[in-house]
Amino acid sequence: MSVNDHERARQLIALSGADASGGRTGDARAEGERGWLRVHLQECEECRDYAEAAGGAIRALRTHPMAAGSGLVRATQMRVRARALELRRQRERMWLVGLSCAFVGISAAVTTPLLWQGFAWAGEWMGVSSWVWQAGFTFVWIVPALVASALLVDRGTHLNAANGIGTSLRSNLGGGSAEQD
Amino acid sequence: MNAIAYCSWNAMESETSAIARGLRRRDPELLDRLIEQYQHRLLRYLVYLTNNRELAEDLFQETWIRVLERGHLYDGRHEFGTWLYAVARNLTIDYLRKKSPVSLDGLMEDEQHAPLEPADTRLAAWKVVEQHEQAERINAALVGIPAEYREAVVLRFQDELALEEIATVTGAPLGTVKSRLYRGLNLLMGRLEGKTA
Repeated sequence: MSVNDHERARQLIALSGADASGGRTGDARAEGERGWLRVHLQECEECRDYAEAAGGAIRALRTHPMAAGSGLVRATQMRVRARALELRRQRERMWLVGLSCAFVGISAAVTTPLLWQGFAWAGEWMGVSSWVWQAGFTFVWIVPALVASALLVDRGTHLNAANGIGTSLRSNLGGGSAEQD
Repeated sequence: MNAIAYCSWNAMESETSAIARGLRRRDPELLDRLIEQYQHRLLRYLVYLTNNRELAEDLFQETWIRVLERGHLYDGRHEFGTWLYAVARNLTIDYLRKKSPVSLDGLMEDEQHAPLEPADTRLAAWKVVEQHEQAERINAALVGIPAEYREAVVLRFQDELALEEIATVTGAPLGTVKSRLYRGLNLLMGRLEGKTA
Protein backbone atom coordinates (compact mmCIF):
# COMPACT_ATOMS: atom_id res chain seq x y z
CA MET A 1 0.00 0.00 0.00
CA SER A 2 1.64 3.25 -1.16
CA VAL A 3 1.52 6.75 0.30
CA ASN A 4 -0.53 7.73 -2.73
CA ASP A 5 -3.21 5.24 -1.76
CA HIS A 6 -3.65 6.87 1.65
CA GLU A 7 -3.70 10.32 0.07
CA ARG A 8 -6.25 9.21 -2.49
CA ALA A 9 -8.42 7.64 0.21
CA ARG A 10 -8.36 10.79 2.31
CA GLN A 11 -9.21 12.96 -0.65
CA LEU A 12 -12.15 10.72 -1.52
CA ILE A 13 -13.38 10.88 2.06
CA ALA A 14 -13.10 14.66 2.14
CA LEU A 15 -14.80 15.15 -1.22
CA SER A 16 -17.66 12.79 -0.55
CA GLY A 17 -18.40 14.13 2.88
CA ALA A 18 -19.37 10.61 3.83
CA ASP A 19 -18.62 8.52 6.87
CA ALA A 20 -16.22 5.67 6.52
CA SER A 21 -19.17 3.36 5.97
CA GLY A 22 -20.08 5.37 2.87
CA GLY A 23 -23.71 5.85 3.76
CA ARG A 24 -24.11 9.06 1.79
CA THR A 25 -22.72 9.07 -1.70
CA GLY A 26 -20.96 12.13 -2.99
CA ASP A 27 -21.30 13.23 -6.58
CA ALA A 28 -17.51 13.41 -7.00
CA ARG A 29 -17.06 9.76 -6.35
CA ALA A 30 -17.78 7.17 -8.95
CA GLU A 31 -19.07 3.77 -7.98
CA GLY A 32 -15.67 2.19 -8.62
CA GLU A 33 -13.93 4.67 -6.38
CA ARG A 34 -16.40 3.97 -3.59
CA GLY A 35 -15.65 0.30 -3.87
CA TRP A 36 -11.93 0.94 -3.84
CA LEU A 37 -12.29 3.16 -0.77
CA ARG A 38 -14.36 0.55 1.06
CA VAL A 39 -11.68 -2.08 0.48
CA HIS A 40 -8.91 0.33 1.45
CA LEU A 41 -10.66 1.29 4.68
CA GLN A 42 -11.05 -2.35 5.64
CA GLU A 43 -7.31 -2.81 5.33
CA CYS A 44 -6.00 0.52 6.64
CA GLU A 45 -6.62 1.45 10.25
CA GLU A 46 -5.03 4.88 9.88
CA CYS A 47 -7.38 5.89 7.09
CA ARG A 48 -10.30 4.39 8.98
CA ASP A 49 -9.46 6.67 11.91
CA TYR A 50 -9.21 9.58 9.50
CA ALA A 51 -12.62 8.72 8.04
CA GLU A 52 -14.14 8.56 11.51
CA ALA A 53 -12.63 11.91 12.46
CA ALA A 54 -13.81 13.46 9.19
CA GLY A 55 -17.27 12.01 9.72
CA GLY A 56 -17.32 13.47 13.24
CA ALA A 57 -16.29 16.92 12.02
CA ILE A 58 -18.88 16.87 9.23
CA ARG A 59 -21.63 15.68 11.60
CA ALA A 60 -20.70 18.47 14.02
CA LEU A 61 -20.97 20.98 11.19
CA ARG A 62 -24.35 19.66 10.11
CA THR A 63 -25.74 19.74 13.62
CA HIS A 64 -24.53 23.29 14.09
CA PRO A 65 -27.72 25.33 13.87
CA MET A 66 -27.82 28.95 12.87
CA ALA A 67 -31.12 30.67 12.40
CA ALA A 68 -32.08 33.93 10.85
CA GLY A 69 -34.23 35.85 13.30
CA SER A 70 -37.87 36.28 12.34
CA GLY A 71 -37.38 40.05 12.57
CA LEU A 72 -34.68 39.91 9.92
CA VAL A 73 -36.87 37.86 7.61
CA ARG A 74 -39.86 40.19 8.06
CA ALA A 75 -37.72 43.30 7.58
CA THR A 76 -36.23 41.81 4.42
CA GLN A 77 -39.63 40.89 3.04
CA MET A 78 -40.91 44.40 3.72
CA ARG A 79 -37.89 46.03 2.09
CA VAL A 80 -38.16 43.78 -0.93
CA ARG A 81 -41.85 44.61 -1.31
CA ALA A 82 -41.19 48.34 -0.93
CA ARG A 83 -38.42 48.18 -3.52
CA ALA A 84 -40.64 46.17 -5.89
CA LEU A 85 -43.32 48.84 -5.58
CA GLU A 86 -40.77 51.56 -6.20
CA LEU A 87 -39.45 49.77 -9.28
CA ARG A 88 -42.98 49.34 -10.62
CA ARG A 89 -43.74 53.03 -10.14
CA GLN A 90 -40.44 53.95 -11.73
CA ARG A 91 -41.28 51.80 -14.73
CA GLU A 92 -44.70 53.39 -15.02
CA ARG A 93 -43.13 56.84 -14.87
CA MET A 94 -40.58 55.89 -17.51
CA TRP A 95 -43.39 54.62 -19.70
CA LEU A 96 -45.20 57.96 -19.34
CA VAL A 97 -42.00 59.86 -20.08
CA GLY A 98 -41.44 57.72 -23.17
CA LEU A 99 -45.00 58.31 -24.32
CA SER A 100 -44.63 62.07 -23.79
CA CYS A 101 -41.35 62.09 -25.72
CA ALA A 102 -42.96 60.24 -28.62
CA PHE A 103 -45.90 62.67 -28.64
CA VAL A 104 -43.60 65.72 -28.52
CA GLY A 105 -41.40 64.29 -31.27
CA ILE A 106 -44.33 63.61 -33.61
CA SER A 107 -45.97 66.97 -32.95
CA ALA A 108 -42.63 68.76 -33.48
CA ALA A 109 -42.12 66.94 -36.79
CA VAL A 110 -45.58 68.05 -37.93
CA THR A 111 -45.61 71.63 -36.62
CA THR A 112 -42.02 72.75 -37.31
CA PRO A 113 -42.39 73.07 -41.12
CA LEU A 114 -45.75 74.82 -40.65
CA LEU A 115 -44.27 77.21 -38.09
CA TRP A 116 -41.31 77.89 -40.37
CA GLN A 117 -43.66 78.75 -43.25
CA GLY A 118 -45.76 80.92 -40.91
CA PHE A 119 -42.71 82.91 -39.80
CA ALA A 120 -41.53 83.29 -43.38
CA TRP A 121 -44.93 84.60 -44.42
CA ALA A 122 -45.10 86.98 -41.40
CA GLY A 123 -41.55 88.24 -42.08
CA GLU A 124 -42.42 88.93 -45.70
CA TRP A 125 -45.69 90.60 -44.73
CA MET A 126 -43.91 92.83 -42.17
CA GLY A 127 -41.05 93.50 -44.59
CA VAL A 128 -38.25 92.45 -42.22
CA SER A 129 -35.05 90.79 -43.34
CA SER A 130 -34.91 87.02 -43.30
CA TRP A 131 -32.43 86.73 -40.36
CA VAL A 132 -34.96 88.61 -38.14
CA TRP A 133 -37.85 86.22 -38.67
CA GLN A 134 -35.45 83.26 -38.57
CA ALA A 135 -34.15 84.48 -35.18
CA GLY A 136 -37.77 84.83 -34.05
CA PHE A 137 -38.53 81.30 -35.19
CA THR A 138 -35.48 79.92 -33.36
CA PHE A 139 -36.49 81.77 -30.20
CA VAL A 140 -40.07 80.47 -30.25
CA TRP A 141 -38.93 76.98 -31.15
CA ILE A 142 -36.22 76.62 -28.52
CA VAL A 143 -37.41 78.70 -25.53
CA PRO A 144 -40.09 76.26 -24.21
CA ALA A 145 -37.53 73.45 -24.11
CA LEU A 146 -35.02 75.70 -22.31
CA VAL A 147 -37.63 76.75 -19.71
CA ALA A 148 -38.66 73.14 -19.10
CA SER A 149 -35.03 72.05 -18.70
CA ALA A 150 -34.33 74.87 -16.24
CA LEU A 151 -37.39 73.91 -14.18
CA LEU A 152 -36.37 70.24 -14.12
CA VAL A 153 -32.85 71.11 -13.04
CA ASP A 154 -34.22 73.37 -10.33
CA ARG A 155 -36.93 71.04 -8.99
CA GLY A 156 -35.35 67.69 -9.77
CA THR A 157 -36.44 65.06 -12.25
CA HIS A 158 -38.71 62.04 -12.05
CA LEU A 159 -35.61 59.91 -11.37
CA ASN A 160 -34.89 61.57 -8.06
CA ALA A 161 -37.27 59.32 -6.12
CA ALA A 162 -35.42 56.22 -7.32
CA ASN A 163 -32.08 57.79 -6.52
CA GLY A 164 -33.33 58.52 -3.03
CA ILE A 165 -34.19 54.89 -2.48
CA GLY A 166 -30.75 53.86 -3.68
CA THR A 167 -29.13 56.26 -1.25
CA SER A 168 -31.16 54.98 1.70
CA LEU A 169 -30.22 51.39 0.87
CA ARG A 170 -26.58 52.31 0.72
CA SER A 171 -26.75 54.16 4.01
CA ASN A 172 -28.27 51.08 5.65
CA LEU A 173 -25.08 49.21 4.84
CA GLY A 174 -23.10 51.53 7.07
CA GLY A 175 -20.85 53.63 4.92
CA GLY A 176 -22.68 52.70 1.77
CA SER A 177 -19.98 51.01 -0.23
CA ALA A 178 -22.00 48.22 -1.75
CA GLU A 179 -23.07 48.93 -5.26
CA GLN A 180 -26.79 48.65 -5.77
CA ASP A 181 -27.31 48.96 -9.49
CA MET B 1 -34.47 3.83 -11.73
CA ASN B 2 -33.84 6.04 -14.78
CA ALA B 3 -37.51 6.95 -14.90
CA ILE B 4 -37.38 8.14 -11.27
CA ALA B 5 -34.27 10.18 -11.95
CA TYR B 6 -35.88 11.64 -15.07
CA CYS B 7 -39.04 12.53 -13.14
CA SER B 8 -37.14 14.22 -10.31
CA TRP B 9 -34.96 16.09 -12.82
CA ASN B 10 -38.11 17.20 -14.64
CA ALA B 11 -39.70 18.37 -11.39
CA MET B 12 -36.58 20.36 -10.51
CA GLU B 13 -36.49 21.86 -14.00
CA SER B 14 -40.11 22.93 -13.81
CA GLU B 15 -39.58 24.41 -10.35
CA THR B 16 -36.55 26.44 -11.43
CA SER B 17 -38.44 27.57 -14.53
CA ALA B 18 -41.34 28.68 -12.35
CA ILE B 19 -38.92 30.61 -10.13
CA ALA B 20 -37.32 32.23 -13.19
CA ARG B 21 -40.72 33.28 -14.52
CA GLY B 22 -41.73 34.65 -11.11
CA LEU B 23 -38.48 36.60 -10.78
CA ARG B 24 -38.98 38.15 -14.20
CA ARG B 25 -42.43 39.30 -13.04
CA ARG B 26 -40.96 40.41 -9.69
CA ASP B 27 -43.68 38.40 -8.01
CA PRO B 28 -43.73 39.49 -4.33
CA GLU B 29 -45.39 36.27 -3.14
CA LEU B 30 -42.65 34.19 -4.72
CA LEU B 31 -39.95 36.38 -3.21
CA ASP B 32 -41.54 36.09 0.25
CA ARG B 33 -41.55 32.33 -0.11
CA LEU B 34 -37.95 32.20 -1.32
CA ILE B 35 -36.76 34.45 1.52
CA GLU B 36 -38.36 32.10 4.04
CA GLN B 37 -37.09 29.00 2.29
CA TYR B 38 -33.46 30.14 2.04
CA GLN B 39 -33.24 32.31 5.17
CA HIS B 40 -31.07 30.03 7.33
CA ARG B 41 -28.83 28.72 4.58
CA LEU B 42 -28.13 32.15 3.12
CA LEU B 43 -27.50 33.80 6.46
CA ARG B 44 -25.18 30.98 7.56
CA TYR B 45 -23.22 31.27 4.34
CA LEU B 46 -22.90 35.03 4.71
CA VAL B 47 -21.90 34.79 8.37
CA TYR B 48 -19.09 32.39 7.53
CA LEU B 49 -18.11 34.38 4.46
CA THR B 50 -17.85 37.70 6.27
CA ASN B 51 -17.10 36.43 9.75
CA ASN B 52 -19.41 39.12 11.07
CA ARG B 53 -23.04 38.52 11.98
CA GLU B 54 -24.13 42.15 11.74
CA LEU B 55 -22.60 42.64 8.32
CA ALA B 56 -24.02 39.30 7.21
CA GLU B 57 -27.54 40.47 8.15
CA ASP B 58 -27.09 43.66 6.13
CA LEU B 59 -25.82 41.68 3.18
CA PHE B 60 -28.69 39.22 3.59
CA GLN B 61 -31.15 42.05 2.95
CA GLU B 62 -29.09 43.49 0.13
CA THR B 63 -28.87 40.09 -1.52
CA TRP B 64 -32.65 39.84 -1.73
CA ILE B 65 -32.93 43.39 -3.05
CA ARG B 66 -30.44 42.44 -5.75
CA VAL B 67 -32.37 39.24 -6.47
CA LEU B 68 -35.44 41.42 -7.00
CA GLU B 69 -33.61 43.89 -9.24
CA ARG B 70 -31.67 41.34 -11.26
CA GLY B 71 -34.04 38.41 -11.09
CA HIS B 72 -34.50 38.56 -14.85
CA LEU B 73 -30.91 37.34 -15.20
CA TYR B 74 -31.75 34.00 -13.59
CA ASP B 75 -32.44 31.63 -16.46
CA GLY B 76 -33.66 28.64 -14.46
CA ARG B 77 -31.01 26.29 -15.83
CA HIS B 78 -29.24 25.98 -12.47
CA GLU B 79 -30.65 25.45 -9.01
CA PHE B 80 -31.94 28.73 -7.63
CA GLY B 81 -29.83 28.25 -4.48
CA THR B 82 -26.63 28.15 -6.53
CA TRP B 83 -27.52 31.40 -8.25
CA LEU B 84 -28.52 32.95 -4.93
CA TYR B 85 -25.18 32.07 -3.33
CA ALA B 86 -23.35 33.53 -6.33
CA VAL B 87 -25.34 36.78 -6.00
CA ALA B 88 -24.59 36.93 -2.26
CA ARG B 89 -20.92 36.20 -2.83
CA ASN B 90 -20.52 38.86 -5.52
CA LEU B 91 -22.34 41.38 -3.38
CA THR B 92 -20.09 40.60 -0.40
CA ILE B 93 -16.92 40.90 -2.45
CA ASP B 94 -18.21 44.10 -4.03
CA TYR B 95 -18.99 45.54 -0.61
CA LEU B 96 -15.65 44.55 0.91
CA ARG B 97 -13.64 45.80 -2.05
CA LYS B 98 -15.27 49.19 -1.77
CA LYS B 99 -15.02 49.35 1.98
CA SER B 100 -11.38 48.41 2.13
CA PRO B 101 -9.21 46.91 -0.58
CA VAL B 102 -8.75 43.49 0.98
CA SER B 103 -9.31 40.02 -0.36
CA LEU B 104 -11.58 37.49 1.29
CA ASP B 105 -8.55 36.17 3.18
CA GLY B 106 -8.24 39.49 4.93
CA LEU B 107 -11.55 38.86 6.63
CA MET B 108 -9.86 36.33 8.83
CA GLU B 109 -8.02 39.03 10.64
CA ASP B 110 -11.27 40.64 11.73
CA GLU B 111 -11.59 39.76 15.38
CA GLN B 112 -15.07 41.16 15.81
CA HIS B 113 -17.35 38.26 15.11
CA ALA B 114 -20.64 38.22 16.92
CA PRO B 115 -21.67 35.02 18.65
CA LEU B 116 -23.84 32.83 16.49
CA GLU B 117 -27.48 32.51 17.33
CA PRO B 118 -28.65 28.93 17.72
CA ALA B 119 -32.03 27.98 16.31
CA ASP B 120 -34.91 27.91 18.77
CA THR B 121 -35.73 24.24 19.05
CA ARG B 122 -37.35 24.59 22.49
CA LEU B 123 -34.92 22.28 24.20
CA ALA B 124 -34.33 22.06 27.90
CA ALA B 125 -32.05 24.76 29.31
CA TRP B 126 -29.05 22.49 29.75
CA LYS B 127 -29.46 21.25 26.23
CA VAL B 128 -29.50 24.81 24.95
CA VAL B 129 -26.32 25.60 26.89
CA GLU B 130 -24.66 22.48 25.56
CA GLN B 131 -25.76 23.31 22.03
CA HIS B 132 -24.50 26.84 22.41
CA GLU B 133 -21.12 25.62 23.58
CA GLN B 134 -20.94 23.21 20.69
CA ALA B 135 -21.89 26.01 18.29
CA GLU B 136 -19.19 28.25 19.70
CA ARG B 137 -16.63 25.48 19.42
CA ILE B 138 -17.46 24.82 15.78
CA ASN B 139 -17.63 28.51 15.05
CA ALA B 140 -14.22 29.08 16.60
CA ALA B 141 -12.80 26.21 14.55
CA LEU B 142 -14.39 27.48 11.35
CA VAL B 143 -13.32 31.10 11.67
CA GLY B 144 -9.78 29.91 12.29
CA ILE B 145 -9.38 28.53 8.79
CA PRO B 146 -8.78 30.67 5.69
CA ALA B 147 -11.92 32.17 4.16
CA GLU B 148 -11.74 30.35 0.83
CA TYR B 149 -11.42 26.96 2.59
CA ARG B 150 -14.17 27.89 5.05
CA GLU B 151 -16.47 28.82 2.19
CA ALA B 152 -15.90 25.51 0.43
CA VAL B 153 -16.45 23.52 3.64
CA VAL B 154 -19.64 25.37 4.54
CA LEU B 155 -21.10 25.10 1.05
CA ARG B 156 -20.30 21.40 0.82
CA PHE B 157 -21.02 20.07 4.26
CA GLN B 158 -23.59 22.47 5.66
CA ASP B 159 -25.46 23.55 2.56
CA GLU B 160 -24.78 20.23 0.81
CA LEU B 161 -23.99 21.72 -2.58
CA ALA B 162 -22.43 19.50 -5.22
CA LEU B 163 -18.82 20.18 -6.15
CA GLU B 164 -19.87 21.55 -9.55
CA GLU B 165 -22.33 23.90 -7.85
CA ILE B 166 -19.61 25.17 -5.52
CA ALA B 167 -17.43 25.79 -8.57
CA THR B 168 -20.28 27.78 -10.13
CA VAL B 169 -20.85 29.83 -6.99
CA THR B 170 -17.20 30.61 -6.38
CA GLY B 171 -16.15 30.85 -10.00
CA ALA B 172 -13.20 28.59 -9.23
CA PRO B 173 -12.16 25.53 -11.29
CA LEU B 174 -13.40 22.17 -10.03
CA GLY B 175 -9.87 21.07 -9.13
CA THR B 176 -9.41 24.15 -6.97
CA VAL B 177 -12.71 23.49 -5.21
CA LYS B 178 -11.63 19.91 -4.45
CA SER B 179 -8.30 21.07 -3.14
CA ARG B 180 -9.90 23.75 -0.95
CA LEU B 181 -12.37 21.24 0.41
CA TYR B 182 -9.70 18.70 1.27
CA ARG B 183 -7.43 21.23 2.93
CA GLY B 184 -10.33 22.98 4.62
CA LEU B 185 -11.64 19.76 6.14
CA ASN B 186 -8.16 18.79 7.34
CA LEU B 187 -7.69 22.18 8.96
CA LEU B 188 -11.13 22.04 10.52
CA MET B 189 -10.52 18.56 11.91
CA GLY B 190 -7.22 19.69 13.34
CA ARG B 191 -8.81 22.66 15.02
CA LEU B 192 -11.77 20.67 16.36
CA GLU B 193 -9.46 18.04 17.79
CA GLY B 194 -7.27 20.75 19.26
CA LYS B 195 -10.26 22.32 21.00
CA THR B 196 -11.61 19.10 22.42
CA ALA B 197 -8.24 17.85 23.62
